[in-house]
Amino acid sequence: MKLMSEVNKSRRSFLSLLPLGVLAGVFASMGGAAFRFLRPRIFAATDKWLDVATIAELSGPQPIARKIVAEHVAGWAVTTEQHSVFVLPAKNNQVLSAICPHEGCEVTWEGATNRFSCPCHASFFAADGARISGPARRGLDPLPARVQDGKLQVQYVTREPVTHA
Amino acid sequence: MTPLEENAWLETTSGMVAVLLLVQFLTGILLAFYYVPSVDHAYTTVSYIEKVVSSGSWLRSLHHYGSQWLTLFAFIHVLRLFFTRAYTTNRLQWIVAILILGLVMAAGGTGYSLPWDARAFFSTRVAEGLMGGLPLAGGNARLWLLAGSDISTLTLSRFFALHVIVTPAVIAVVVVWRLFGLNIARLFGPPHAIAAAVVFLALALWCWQHPAPLGPAADAVTENYLPRPGAQFLWLYQSLKYVPGGLGSFTGVVLPGVGLLILILLPWLKRARLIGATLLGVCVLLVAGLTTAQYLNDRRDPATWKQLSRQAAQEQALRNEPFQAASLGAGVTAGETASTEGGPPGLYTKFCAQCHGSNGQGARQGTINFPPLLDVPIKPHRTVDDIVGLLKDPTAYGLQPPMRSFSDKLSEPQMREIAEWIVKLKR
Repeated sequence: MKLMSEVNKSRRSFLSLLPLGVLAGVFASMGGAAFRFLRPRIFAATDKWLDVATIAELSGPQPIARKIVAEHVAGWAVTTEQHSVFVLPAKNNQVLSAICPHEGCEVTWEGATNRFSCPCHASFFAADGARISGPARRGLDPLPARVQDGKLQVQYVTREPVTHA
Repeated sequence: MTPLEENAWLETTSGMVAVLLLVQFLTGILLAFYYVPSVDHAYTTVSYIEKVVSSGSWLRSLHHYGSQWLTLFAFIHVLRLFFTRAYTTNRLQWIVAILILGLVMAAGGTGYSLPWDARAFFSTRVAEGLMGGLPLAGGNARLWLLAGSDISTLTLSRFFALHVIVTPAVIAVVVVWRLFGLNIARLFGPPHAIAAAVVFLALALWCWQHPAPLGPAADAVTENYLPRPGAQFLWLYQSLKYVPGGLGSFTGVVLPGVGLLILILLPWLKRARLIGATLLGVCVLLVAGLTTAQYLNDRRDPATWKQLSRQAAQEQALRNEPFQAASLGAGVTAGETASTEGGPPGLYTKFCAQCHGSNGQGARQGTINFPPLLDVPIKPHRTVDDIVGLLKDPTAYGLQPPMRSFSDKLSEPQMREIAEWIVKLKR
């Protein structure tokens, strides 16, 4: 009799846990799907070559500011965004991103002091993009460039700004 | 106690409804992470969920078929409560069950518009017609439902807000009202848990095999497209075939509304058993009969069946196509320019330009491309008289919604003025 009552007791305690088990099962199966569903997607960088300028336009000792329009595929949408770049004719037409590698603001060229400056947190860069001073931990990022049919072209790739290097 | 009251398994309908409600809430929250309620992007974002996002198709299918199962189980729950005389023994449980049934139907109705595919568009049109046909308040009800004089992106925003905020909030309040102060663990005991687990597993497996339907985008609808509503609304769809125009609102809105109200008031009515049994019996017969009739109608008409099969194949083909991202921002395309001797009549600008362009060049509203009216006169059956007739009754000229009749907006001379301007349009 004692044995039977213990069996009944354990049966009852199992049954009392059943609703929790079902709830946990529903949440677990949906939770697994939800994790995959919400997982962030790493968007592939565009490999499109974008025209910057004709080679004939590019001369002189100072960096030349240009605007390019790049396509970004993000999830279900394709957006077009305008970006600033600097061409360095003095450095074999190397192209620099205008994005400050500190916090991502856009740098400007100061002809009078012959340097790039970031308006946000006062980082300064030399005419070839090398870091001079300020919180940025590296120089301006060069972009992949090539010359095709007399035109300078770039691939617009972004690198993460670095706050703490 | 009746034998029905003694059977713990029969009481598990509340556990089944509870688990299906939980599934609807969880999947709804997840879908909202990607869905955008605008006619420009709704279809694209739903396609993205279906084709690109991991587990997206399964989760959307759970939400879609879960809503149909929930309606069915909420109704079975009401039937069970009626047979166990809950309306006399536990009024709160009875009222909550009826409210949940009504709210679940409302959530299903508003949710159907959200993917903004062909089905969604036509179901929105039907909802518009049902509201517009209501006695006395119909005109205003239609305007308030659409958020304007015609279906637009504002309508979709409105259906979205009703579907994801208002209805779930009311359902949550009703559920909390029911469960407040009760021991939930005791209320949903082991038999409920087993029944809920079986229902969830069955739904999960069904959805694994059957993705939720997604038709062609609203702008890709061909003239011979046959829209069919979800399973829980087939009875309504079929009933609209039997009743003349204006009475559709009566069978689709007034009758179900009054029926639910009588059921809510049942605990206070004399002869409650007889009234309830009659009402629920008629309801079961009508829903089962009309749904069967609808299926048989489609199955027995070779042309209809062929077209529905073609649509199913088209949906499958669309599903297999790679996802196409939408272009945002610089989406301005150079339109065709129309030349006429004079400008468009003011009434054209007021009633027609929104869809057909300021000079008949056609226009795009969200995903819908509206056709240009240039060169209309060289098409067959497009004389001034034809265009006047078409403005009165577009269906007589083989045109489908969203083209609508303007008989209520324009007099015949006004239609003629517009038609005479249209026939002069040239590319």
